[in-house]
Amino acid sequence: MRGDLPLTLRVNGSEQTLPAVPADTKLLDLLRWRLGLKGTKEGCRTGGCGACTVLVNGESVLSCLTLAREMEGQEVTTVEGLSGTAEAEAVQRAFVEAGAVQCGYCTPGFVMALVSLRRERRDGPPDLPTLASELGGNLCRCTGYYSIVRALAGLLAAPIPPELPKSTFSVDPGRSP
Amino acid sequence: MAYALHFPRTLDEAFRLLDPEGTEGALPLAGGTDLLPAVEAGRWHPSALVSLSRLPLGTFERTEHEILIGGTLPLRRLEREPDIVRLLPGLVEAIREVGSVPLRHRATLGGNVVRASPASDLLPPLLALEASLDLRSRDGTRRVALGDFLRGSWETTLRPGELVERIRIPVPRPSSYRWQRVRPANDISQVGVACALASSDGRSPWRIAAGGVEPHPQRLPGAEAALSHEDPTPGEIEEAVHRAVEGSRLKDDRRAGEEYRRHLLGVLLRRSITSTVSRARTMGGRGT
Repeated sequence: MRGDLPLTLRVNGSEQTLPAVPADTKLLDLLRWRLGLKGTKEGCRTGGCGACTVLVNGESVLSCLTLAREMEGQEVTTVEGLSGTAEAEAVQRAFVEAGAVQCGYCTPGFVMALVSLRRERRDGPPDLPTLASELGGNLCRCTGYYSIVRALAGLLAAPIPPELPKSTFSVDPGRSP
Repeated sequence: MAYALHFPRTLDEAFRLLDPEGTEGALPLAGGTDLLPAVEAGRWHPSALVSLSRLPLGTFERTEHEILIGGTLPLRRLEREPDIVRLLPGLVEAIREVGSVPLRHRATLGGNVVRASPASDLLPPLLALEASLDLRSRDGTRRVALGDFLRGSWETTLRPGELVERIRIPVPRPSSYRWQRVRPANDISQVGVACALASSDGRSPWRIAAGGVEPHPQRLPGAEAALSHEDPTPGEIEEAVHRAVEGSRLKDDRRAGEEYRRHLLGVLLRRSITSTVSRARTMGGRGT
């Protein structure tokens, strides 16, 4: 098993087979440098900042602490893969409207961590203190967190219908930071 | 940094890959949240990592008197498991303070115990809860009390080729974990104190353990002996604090100085005792 083996996984809904993935490649590097999905950010690389958060089988995971080859047969979702879902667009809208995005570096990690928290509860979304506390692993050096908490409060005040089709809201790529 | 990576699908295959005479320098890989950065930083140089992710070690079982936690069950599963929330409140309080939610989706209790970090927030409650480990190897399973398993800072009595099959914890246990840190989220405690109430059988029913002491998290037998019954008087609590502080060597490192830790040990012990007493009132019986 020494040496670089192929890896097959699903990324954002489509199956990918990558030839020759070294044993020590992290999921973070696979996503950014082999698949070109630069929405997932590298921050501390030691599990301390949350910038690299992605979903694995729907649960938030730190991609800097995960070996790519552990993902054989698994479903990985990055921030790019959320595009077009009602839930993700509601989260994006809440972040934009609350001014929770400044430099934007931490935003994909926050969005992925938040989507995971909302999905794991079948008895409705968590309350604001729980959300804020459970996002404690995501660092932001711009906003002072106040705007992010405001975005969370906005989301909780406006529940997202589960079956809402793709909304008209989108962030104009020409204006993004 | 090059290492081989294996994904055994059976325990026999895993034992073969971990055999000290087979693959030199092979290490088991559970969640990897602590091991992988240590390898990337060059503190460990394994020739191979043996992933436990395809093995049947992620089990959960509750019997009448015990909860049995599979070695590779993620921490996030444990903190959301109703039996653990109800029967081991002190353990849940500690698990919720480990890293962050995304980290806990992969980090495991077995991994935390085997890594044996002297700063672990899970070792104090596991010690107070009198956890024991089922260690599985190709020769069978042996059971070891956690207190005997920990040998030093980052050191255990785990033998090469052994895996944590499950962690056994007696239930129910009114219990609590109190801690202090620089930053509440995604940090490691300067001092953490865990208390649990066991059945008394003539001795003190109190089981108390602390982290932030040398050389690794420890039971505090002096403090336990100062508390003779489930609802101690304020004077008895102060005696327990006195004995805990006098009987412990506090750490002195970048997280906190010795004097501050000494202060914290007393404050957190009082809080943990008080919280455990009030939980005992609502939880009822101790079990065995």
